[in-house]
Amino acid sequence: MLLGAWGIALFLAGWEVVGQTGALGMSCPPLSAVLAVLADPARALLFQRALGATLGAVATGYGLGLVFGVVAAAAGHLLPGMRGGLDRTSSVIHAIPSVALAPLLILSLGRQATPAALAGINTYFILYVATSSGLAGTSPVLRDLMSVLGAGRWMRFVRIDLPAALPTLVSGMRMAAPGALIGAIIGEWFGASRGVGVIILNAMQNFQIPLLWSMVLLTVMISLTLFWLLGAMQLGAARRYR
Amino acid sequence: MPTAVRVAGVSKRFRLDGGADFLALDRVSVSIGAGEFVALLGPSGCGKSTLLRLVAALEEPSEGQVTVAGSAPGELARAHRLGVAFQDHALLPWLDVTANIGLPFRVAGRAVDRARVSALIGLVGLAGFEAAKPRQLSGGMRQRVAIARALVLRPDVLLLDEPFGALDAVTRRQMNIELQRIWSEQGTTTLLVTHDVREALFLADRIVVLSPRPGRVARELVVPFARPRDAAVMRTEAFHRLADELTDALGGGA
Repeated sequence: MLLGAWGIALFLAGWEVVGQTGALGMSCPPLSAVLAVLADPARALLFQRALGATLGAVATGYGLGLVFGVVAAAAGHLLPGMRGGLDRTSSVIHAIPSVALAPLLILSLGRQATPAALAGINTYFILYVATSSGLAGTSPVLRDLMSVLGAGRWMRFVRIDLPAALPTLVSGMRMAAPGALIGAIIGEWFGASRGVGVIILNAMQNFQIPLLWSMVLLTVMISLTLFWLLGAMQLGAARRYR
Repeated sequence: MPTAVRVAGVSKRFRLDGGADFLALDRVSVSIGAGEFVALLGPSGCGKSTLLRLVAALEEPSEGQVTVAGSAPGELARAHRLGVAFQDHALLPWLDVTANIGLPFRVAGRAVDRARVSALIGLVGLAGFEAAKPRQLSGGMRQRVAIARALVLRPDVLLLDEPFGALDAVTRRQMNIELQRIWSEQGTTTLLVTHDVREALFLADRIVVLSPRPGRVARELVVPFARPRDAAVMRTEAFHRLADELTDALGGGA
């Protein structure tokens, strides 16, 4: 823990030195300059709106991806006939690169909905895989128990399969959060009106290097915060259901 | 005494990974009367747990017939009239003792009878541990919870698959004395699977000895000790003599 803090401090200090001396050229400004942009009161409103738009897209996409992923996995578990088809469909959707899918989404859903849609697709696949494997992982002796207690498939699902799958499911929720953020930002590159991705794209095209870095830093911080929050949830689920 | 469980000429074959057949049970016939306690005694690998799984409808016989209370064994489970305690306690790790014992009520779609659950917690000696999770309990306590759960719906048939198999000798003996007491109060038709001669003699009305590979009935013995029995019976000469006899019968195939 302490060693990790030292490592991060060393990295940030190194970044500052490299930026100040200009060792890597103009494309790597010092950390202080990047933080100054991030804290610039003149830009606060712009950043707030962008952050709101991006987080909104992440929340919508993540929520939908979560619901669809879990429901699809549950359907594949309860109706074994559907399992193969669901597996293949999910894999195919996942195998299409976001940049190839985005134009299709823009045409079908519109520019404003594309960030949420890409966030949702990224979330869906991870949640589908995590929930499926969690549901399949119920111990055989608990299945025997439910069978001798006279439980049907649905009762078994509610009483043992789903609770036993929760730690894996929450672990999937944690893994999916950064993916949802990436999906939303890439989605914003394809002509959304606001969002962190829009600022990143504009800053790059206009060569506003400190602004570009500040948005990247912001993205990293959001991603780590989500990862950390869901990590706490994962720990809780693992304690309770294992 | 009417017959509660009838196993008639049952054989069970398993397909091994290599494609060869393995004969686990060979034309086994056993019947258990209503209210009778039968122990199925045999060395490990003799198919005794397989026989119990057939009665629990967890396996299908390859030949022969299993009937429980006159119908197919699955009927009893579906009617929530079957109690089973497995070698592995099979408790739900996320439920506390009370909720684990109450689980059969919920699966049966009935309201949990709280009075019945707490009476059973008292019966198996776990008062004070109502809110404990399985991981906070010792091996012996977990098995007590499993037995209480098996009894909670007052099943017509109770199946015990080496429920104390994983316990040390001292705890095991203590659990046997407690099971004797619990069973005397309930009087449920019971099939106990065990490889422990003394356990079988102490608990059962009748002992069926299975020989291994393939499992066949090698011997049947009516246990002569009167009920209620207490631990003193294990120190009598007749007990020692029968224990030696059964141990010989177990080793007979070897």
